[in-house]
Amino acid sequence: MTNIPRQLWVSLRSFGVFFLLWWLLHLWNANPLQLPSPMKVLEALWMLLREGEITEHASVSTLRMLLALTLAIVVAVPLGFLMGLSRRAEQYVDPLVEMLRPISGIAWLPLALFIFGVGDTLPVFIMFYVGFFPILLNTVAGVRQTDARLLAAARTMGIGRLPLLIHVLVPSALPTVMVGIRLAFAASWAAIVAAELIGAPSGLGFAIEWYRQLLMTPKVFAFILAIGVVGYLCDLGLRDLQRKLTPWAEGTGVAP
Amino acid sequence: MRNRMFDSRRSVLIRNITLPVLLIVVWQIWASTLPPGSPAPAPLKVLQTLADLLSTGSLVSATLQSLGRVLLGFAVGSGLGIAMGLAMGASPAVRENLDPIIESFRPIAPMAILPIAILWLGTGTPTALAIVAYASFFPVLINTVHGVSRVERKLILAARTMGVSRWTILTRVVLPGAMPSILLGTRLAMGVAWTAIIAAELAVGAKSGGGGSGGIGQMMFVFYAYNIDLNAIVVCMAVVGVVALLIDQMFRLFEKRLIPWRH
Repeated sequence: MTNIPRQLWVSLRSFGVFFLLWWLLHLWNANPLQLPSPMKVLEALWMLLREGEITEHASVSTLRMLLALTLAIVVAVPLGFLMGLSRRAEQYVDPLVEMLRPISGIAWLPLALFIFGVGDTLPVFIMFYVGFFPILLNTVAGVRQTDARLLAAARTMGIGRLPLLIHVLVPSALPTVMVGIRLAFAASWAAIVAAELIGAPSGLGFAIEWYRQLLMTPKVFAFILAIGVVGYLCDLGLRDLQRKLTPWAEGTGVAP
Repeated sequence: MRNRMFDSRRSVLIRNITLPVLLIVVWQIWASTLPPGSPAPAPLKVLQTLADLLSTGSLVSATLQSLGRVLLGFAVGSGLGIAMGLAMGASPAVRENLDPIIESFRPIAPMAILPIAILWLGTGTPTALAIVAYASFFPVLINTVHGVSRVERKLILAARTMGVSRWTILTRVVLPGAMPSILLGTRLAMGVAWTAIIAAELAVGAKSGGGGSGGIGQMMFVFYAYNIDLNAIVVCMAVVGVVALLIDQMFRLFEKRLIPWRH
């Protein structure tokens, strides 16, 4: 019980030192365009929050991410099950996956700009692409890891193919799939900034670049802070979902 | 028996190449139905562009420039990551105090700090280096801390009992013990770093009106914005993929060489 206030105290102390260093650095640098004081940044953050600008851009970005991740899950999870269950399916699909996987989502930007133009589709496509591979690979691994004895036991009891899938394979693969979804989220949240920076008229990445061009540095810092906070909150939410969906798999989620 | 095995290996090969070949054939057929002036890329044109770009040497020099930046930025980022990771792993006090700061920077993507890097360092190589260093720092740091925490406590205690100095314990016991984790971290970091350099060069090109940053990302941007050539963009994408694959394989080889006891 006494651990929590102590942890809080340590965090506060660390942040105190961090802000003090930042403030001293800002005095030494003396160029508010490059490094504004921490107070200026907090003020900008407060202003942007009060005017609703941050929440507006953050919700646009979050919606795009949700859409992309949902699409990635809908495509990658069934495909992963198919590839995990059938060697033949894997032999067909795997080379294509391994051919595309090393090409990072960012490298698709110029081509995707031509195909989709500037707008909503481009960031969604990039995030879908980036999130697809971790989910697929983790699903395949999860299905493969299913205890062969469980499968044999279920078959011995004369279970049908569909119940086998629902009652044995899915619960067994789900924890690994959830880890894949968290990895996919991290990757697509990192890619969203690049995608919006170049190819979208709205969203957090766009806002950062917009205020950089206007040389309103405190607002740039405020939006960067917002990206970190929203990313952190989403990861907390996913961890919570992981705990609720797969309570039998405590500990699989600690992969750093 | 022998015949059957050969047969099945051949059918596996056929299954393996079916989809990639089908993809390329359909793509070529689709492209040949387009009107002649269309900018759409086609496999044959991509090959021709590859040959052209290779013969002028511009593709090789751009790739080498990007690789040089990645290696330099990676060296800075992972050096810092290993040093800080060892300190954090060895001393609970250091770890406790740095953890809140590190954890709050971790969700901020390398690309998000690009605008600040441009403000501070301009649109040239230093910005690209900073982004790469930032990107590779976190995977190395986190895996180093993890590796150090997994070093067997008994080994350290035994060394201490025998009166070994702290520095020797660090270099002879802790570092080899944490090595598998550190190497994993550097491999992950190198992958992230290669992605980050492409993003940085692309975005710097896009946001500075094609200012001279160079590298393969910049090359892609030039082919996108100035001399519009989608075939060349596809060539660049393929190069990005091949380099990523080679880097990954190289690091796996290092891992096998440096920590043979794990294989």
